[in-house]
Amino acid sequence: MSKQTQRKRKKDAGVKASELRKAATRITGLDEVLNGGLPEGRTTLVSGGPGSGKSVLGLEFLYRGAVDGDPGIFVTFEERAKAVRQNALTLGFDLAHLEKAGTLFLMDGHVNPELVLSGDFNLKGLFGVIEGKVKAMGARRIVFDAVDVLLRLFDDPVRERNELYALHDWLTDRQMTALITVKTSKNNNISSRYEFLDFMADCVIELDQRVLEQTTTRRIRVVKYRGSDFFRNEYPFVIAENGIKIIPLSTISLKHQALGPKLSSGHPRLDYILDGGYRRSSATLISGTSGTGKTTVACTFVQAACARGERTLYINFEESPDAMVSGMLSPGIDLRPALKAGTLRIMATMPEIVGAEEHLLQAIQAMDAFEPSHVVVDAISACKRIGTEQASFEYLMRLTNTCKERGITTIFTNQTEGFQETHEISGTGISSVIDTVIFLRYIDIGGELNRMLLVMKSRGSKHSNQYREFQITDHGIEITDVFVGKGGVLTGTARQEQEAKEKFALALEQREFELKEKEIIQKRAALQAHTANLNAEIEAAEAELAWLRLKSEIAQKDRDIRGNMRGEETDSKRLGRAATPGKHRTGGPKGGAK
Amino acid sequence: MKSHDRHLKEKPATRNATYHFRLFVAGDEPNSKLARENLLRLCEQHLHGNHRVEVVDVLENFQAALENNVLITPTLLVTSPPPPVMVVGTLSDTEKVLAALRLNGGE
Repeated sequence: MSKQTQRKRKKDAGVKASELRKAATRITGLDEVLNGGLPEGRTTLVSGGPGSGKSVLGLEFLYRGAVDGDPGIFVTFEERAKAVRQNALTLGFDLAHLEKAGTLFLMDGHVNPELVLSGDFNLKGLFGVIEGKVKAMGARRIVFDAVDVLLRLFDDPVRERNELYALHDWLTDRQMTALITVKTSKNNNISSRYEFLDFMADCVIELDQRVLEQTTTRRIRVVKYRGSDFFRNEYPFVIAENGIKIIPLSTISLKHQALGPKLSSGHPRLDYILDGGYRRSSATLISGTSGTGKTTVACTFVQAACARGERTLYINFEESPDAMVSGMLSPGIDLRPALKAGTLRIMATMPEIVGAEEHLLQAIQAMDAFEPSHVVVDAISACKRIGTEQASFEYLMRLTNTCKERGITTIFTNQTEGFQETHEISGTGISSVIDTVIFLRYIDIGGELNRMLLVMKSRGSKHSNQYREFQITDHGIEITDVFVGKGGVLTGTARQEQEAKEKFALALEQREFELKEKEIIQKRAALQAHTANLNAEIEAAEAELAWLRLKSEIAQKDRDIRGNMRGEETDSKRLGRAATPGKHRTGGPKGGAK
Repeated sequence: MKSHDRHLKEKPATRNATYHFRLFVAGDEPNSKLARENLLRLCEQHLHGNHRVEVVDVLENFQAALENNVLITPTLLVTSPPPPVMVVGTLSDTEKVLAALRLNGGE
């Protein structure tokens, strides 16, 4: 029975596998969007305008496969093989190496412009060549780049269609995992000319390059995927060193590392408020209006972390590294040793310069190279200048997630506008990934403007819920308790006054205690003196008593002597000597002897 | 100087030079068959035996096709006299082929 079920299971798996097997592209993020990869043994169409990244996508698919031991053939109809090799090098793909190893083959299908046409022709030769090469290499993957250039030779839409169908059939018969790229353009009828391709292919991917708010962004969208689920949204992507990178937001899996141990914030009092400090791999948001000291609080941490030898990446959207370092000298934070030691790296960049994807990529590349323990972004409010609100949200969300996956502690500063704008505190909607929120604000009391600090939220640790007065001195930040009285919290001079009052009251009380203690000591001394006196009196009385006894004895003796003399001895002998034996013994014989 | 060179080259090309043809075909499919016939007829009529023809079946020898960048069949490669010329198709348009061989109008 068990064998039967086993066989059945095996059969099921086999059926499923033949229905929908996927060839992983290993292109960052693409397999997630495609839910595993391209359809294996089937044809995928990649369309897009000029410069949208079609060739790179195809090339990277083969490159990553070849590196992994899956041989592939790249047929280039537009570029020459030599140019493809050079372009690949700029992306960090060494094709020549793979060609030598026999896992990649670049077929130059570049059509000679001086070619003379005379009579009918077809793609049989192409099939023959590929057939031979596929067998020789054992290739399973093939890419036809810019197939439209070749098809243009036919100069007849019907012929083009027929030849493409023939190509598709040929590929399907041989179960090749094929990727065909075609140029499309919205300005002419090329796209409609190749529209049938969308129906023919099992999977259709559209690439697009557009300008949004003066920033160029690339987008990728899977239009169709026969027999498979896929992510239907448009996703931004970048082409950079190491190829294409897609970071689909909706597929962010919660691979975050657990919050680690506490890390000192660089200030003992703040550590106390945070119950030990920030937690490793957590995300902290320091929010507040302009000038409340967000950067100072962040740099206090940076200085301490770097001193502990923990590498910190500081992404500054607001000022240059020099301006930041010299600015921090005023509150006594010297970042120069950390920079010199290489534990601190400041990445200053203008938000407007490039798109959100590019910013994210730069940050990730810096993280790859520098391997920091902590990342600071100052300030995320400036991220809005990257482009749209959505772009900045995605940037921050992805950055935070990347950091959390790598166990990197992140600190964001966020500049809020207005004094009471609490809804802005959490930043551009990223509050769900933020673990700790420190809120800095100004408070206007008694004609003074003072800084206040509040820990609003701290996941995974208890924390003080009280406002503290927060000062920036020339030796760093200082945090003091505030007084909470009838009129609310007191800071600044008002607090100092209250402090003086309380100090006086306390001194008075202390004085009273001291007086009472002295009294007790004195009373105890008096008691002791009194006791000594009485003792002396008792002793005197006892001495007196002894003297009286002696006197009485002497008198008795005298009486006895006198009694003997009067002859009273016989009487007393008769009445019983026991009554006065002493007297008899002492008196009688002695007296008789006398 | 240059035009003189070309003049010198063209003269032997039309008169004495041997034409080297390499015809790439895909088995016995109709276009390839047609091309073979057309080429033979053209040689007989215009080159008077002053030629050498090599037929390559890409289904058997894909390596040769690869080396010559031939992906479409039939393709005629004129390797000599230089410069090399590539003619694609059944060669049914004789005028065009002769023009490519720089033979039109000469004889």
